[in-house]
Amino acid sequence: MASNAAVPFWRAAGMTYITYSNICANLVRNCLKEPYKTDVLKREKVHFSVSKWVDGKPQKPTVRSDTPEA
Amino acid sequence: MAMAALRREGRRLTTVISPQPITALRSSLLYEEQAPLGVRSISTQVVRTRMKSVKNIQKITKAMKMVAASKLRAIQVRAENSRGLWQPFTALLGDNPSVDVKKNVIVTVSSDKGLCGGINSTSVKISRALHKLSSGPEKETKYVVLGEKAKAQLVRDSKKDISIIFTELQKNPLNYTQVSVLADDILKNVEYDALRVVFNKFQSVVSFLPTTSTILSPEVVEREAESGGKLGDLDSYEIEGGETKAEILQNLAEFQFSCVLFNAVLENACSEQGARMSAMDSSSRNAGDMLDRLTLTYNRTRQASITTELIEIISGASALEG
Repeated sequence: MASNAAVPFWRAAGMTYITYSNICANLVRNCLKEPYKTDVLKREKVHFSVSKWVDGKPQKPTVRSDTPEA
Repeated sequence: MAMAALRREGRRLTTVISPQPITALRSSLLYEEQAPLGVRSISTQVVRTRMKSVKNIQKITKAMKMVAASKLRAIQVRAENSRGLWQPFTALLGDNPSVDVKKNVIVTVSSDKGLCGGINSTSVKISRALHKLSSGPEKETKYVVLGEKAKAQLVRDSKKDISIIFTELQKNPLNYTQVSVLADDILKNVEYDALRVVFNKFQSVVSFLPTTSTILSPEVVEREAESGGKLGDLDSYEIEGGETKAEILQNLAEFQFSCVLFNAVLENACSEQGARMSAMDSSSRNAGDMLDRLTLTYNRTRQASITTELIEIISGASALEG
């Protein structure tokens, strides 16, 4: 049991369960053999742009992306 | 690209033709028919240009329909498969749309692109209704908006209540990693007692159900469980491992949110393609109708001018003979 402490180690590091499970899933994907590995890793691409609003005004949008801008 | 071309066509059309296209055109033709003496041929140039542009629009809408249909087929399978993700959660925790809490967050899912019927307006309408329902003294309701179209509508009257806006979701094909990163961003940036996800559930190509699913925060789940009801059954589950119930509930709530959001985004994308398909279908049909009417007008005018010329020639000839 990795998490006998009061708080699991990943939550103590400021992660949510989603981030934790994503990291785990990525580890599993990296265990695949070659023809499948690139396929699977290519499928899971993250790209979206976020803008927070404070008092009815948009802040500068930031782009979250793991592919470099073309 | 097709959309840009369509818009360009439309702009050209509006400059050529006044607001009421067909009637205006017809009346102008009629006017020319009753033109002062000496004007013989009627110019059919306007009608011909218009016919050409309507034909182009029809081509574009047909192509867009094809594109939507093929995209729909790919995404429909994934949307239907993703339903298996939230069903266990609903079985375990139930869906509590009527729960009354202080901090509500409404997650409105919409599309980035237009030309897809009314699906974005319906989800915005439902979100507004939810906002009205859940607002009150000492209560706080915020919007989290996904997609350009809902943003454009909500900015108009609910600027103050928007907390985050996400766009450009569909640049890559939708996948779980992306949506879960997004869900993570939402969870980290808003305080909530209940998250209400509003989206269009895909039923068939022509029918979409505006749907809300509610995700409660772990504290609220615990509170509700104590007061009994469906959530009261939670205590009968045995918890393995060293985690406490509160931790498990928190993990569950987070995972539930990312799963529900994943399904919502997929269903909405599927509905979008379906709606676009039917919208494009009806607009190419309308373009066809318009083309028929224009062809009729064109031919009638041409016939009239030929007849006039013939009459003139014959009467001129008979005048010479007689």
